[in-house]
Amino acid sequence: MSDTACPKPDSLTFGEALSELDAVVAALEGGQLELEDSLTRYERGVTLLRDLQTRLGEAQQKVTMLIGELESDTSDETGTPEVS
Amino acid sequence: MAQQRALSVTEAMTSAKQALETVRVRVIGEVSEFNDKPGYKAAYFTVSDRGSAMPCLMWRDQYEASGVILRCGMLVEITGLFSAYVPKGRMQFQVRALSLAGEGDLRLQVAALAAKLETEGLMRPERKRGLPRYPARIAVVTSPRGKAIHDVLRTLHRRYPLAELLIAGVTVEGEAAPAAIVEGLRAASNCGADVVLLVRGGGSYEDLMPFNSEMVARAVVACPVPVVTGIGHEPDTSIADMVADLRASTPTAAAEAVAPDSIELASVLTRERRALARALQSRVQYAAHRVARLAERSVFSDPHAVLGPAAQAIDSAGMRLSRALPERIARDLQQVAFVRERLLGLGRRLTGPAEAGIGMAAARLHDLSPLAILGRGYSATFGENEVVIRSVGQVSVGDRIRVRVSDGTIATTVSGTEKAEE
Repeated sequence: MSDTACPKPDSLTFGEALSELDAVVAALEGGQLELEDSLTRYERGVTLLRDLQTRLGEAQQKVTMLIGELESDTSDETGTPEVS
Repeated sequence: MAQQRALSVTEAMTSAKQALETVRVRVIGEVSEFNDKPGYKAAYFTVSDRGSAMPCLMWRDQYEASGVILRCGMLVEITGLFSAYVPKGRMQFQVRALSLAGEGDLRLQVAALAAKLETEGLMRPERKRGLPRYPARIAVVTSPRGKAIHDVLRTLHRRYPLAELLIAGVTVEGEAAPAAIVEGLRAASNCGADVVLLVRGGGSYEDLMPFNSEMVARAVVACPVPVVTGIGHEPDTSIADMVADLRASTPTAAAEAVAPDSIELASVLTRERRALARALQSRVQYAAHRVARLAERSVFSDPHAVLGPAAQAIDSAGMRLSRALPERIARDLQQVAFVRERLLGLGRRLTGPAEAGIGMAAARLHDLSPLAILGRGYSATFGENEVVIRSVGQVSVGDRIRVRVSDGTIATTVSGTEKAEE
């Protein structure tokens, strides 16, 4: 499969990439694919998987204030992310 | 002191009315009588406590604008002024503002709104939308100060740092709160949120009233993406909870409901990785197994296996052919002989009658034959080319002609011609 047929994983949302990965695994498990197609799908699956794992491991929550100013929590400072 | 002139009844009542109308008060009491006939220009009711009763009227447009539906036994707060109905000499209180008093009545008011929205179908389970499993953007509409927002931030940070958070920090208490919450919901959906959290920490029933407002309820319903509520820590269910797509009991629970757990997600990915590898492995093994099975087949190990059956088939066909051919010819010959016999027999039977007919015809033919005529002394003359001479014009002097008589031919030459007279 060419690059144009498959969107780059980072252009997909996490949910989209994960559901595509699900579909890849399901297709492979179905066992109805040609061997060549199986290998292509497997490669795609690995690409998606690597991307998802990277995203999950490196995720930094982005916080945007639409309205108002956030007051810091006096009871517990830990765990509250930086506001951009 | 000059004695005042006696007043007419109307004058007296009018001055009483004017005196009364200077007294403007706010009163709390229980509705003890209520008369609201559709044709009336005003709602008439009595507000009383243990010791006194006060006849009240409220002009219909003001009553309807108050949003309160009066019933006997309700505790109400009324603001207005005393007055008199001059024609009947009756004192009355003109109500300008009416609201329910006390928490019990707030609950009644909320229950009335809940019933109204339910009738409109806004709480029907089939109207509720499912939540996105992996929201990219989560909006939070809540107070920017206090515990609730930080509970949400902490929970989402721990569970699902992948999502971008959009926070609309709005007033959630007091009269300005409903409009601020509505604005927050609008800002959230405008900024492309996949799901909206509408949360606040616990508070008294009155504190939570903005979440019971019709304005907020309708904004939740109109929000183009699912809304999850987490309002208060008490068992009370607000109207916003009732119309939301999902109601969580607390802000933290609401945050947990909208985001998957990234630790669980990591293990999902590990499972996917194993499944992927296993699936490919088994596909390759299957292919290898099929190739091996095919390689074992005798076709590939023994060339005779391919040609053998064909060669044998040719031999067998040859044998059948050589056996079949003479037998077939003998059978055909026999058939021919048989048919021939039948044909001959048939021929004989056919010619019998014809032969008899031919005998008779031959006798007649003999009688008519020119030879028989010649036998009676006539002759026939032939010119060149065996043409029968019928006229003197057909010959000239010197032509060689032949004369046929009964027993032969006489050759002669024309010596002259004479045409017979007509």
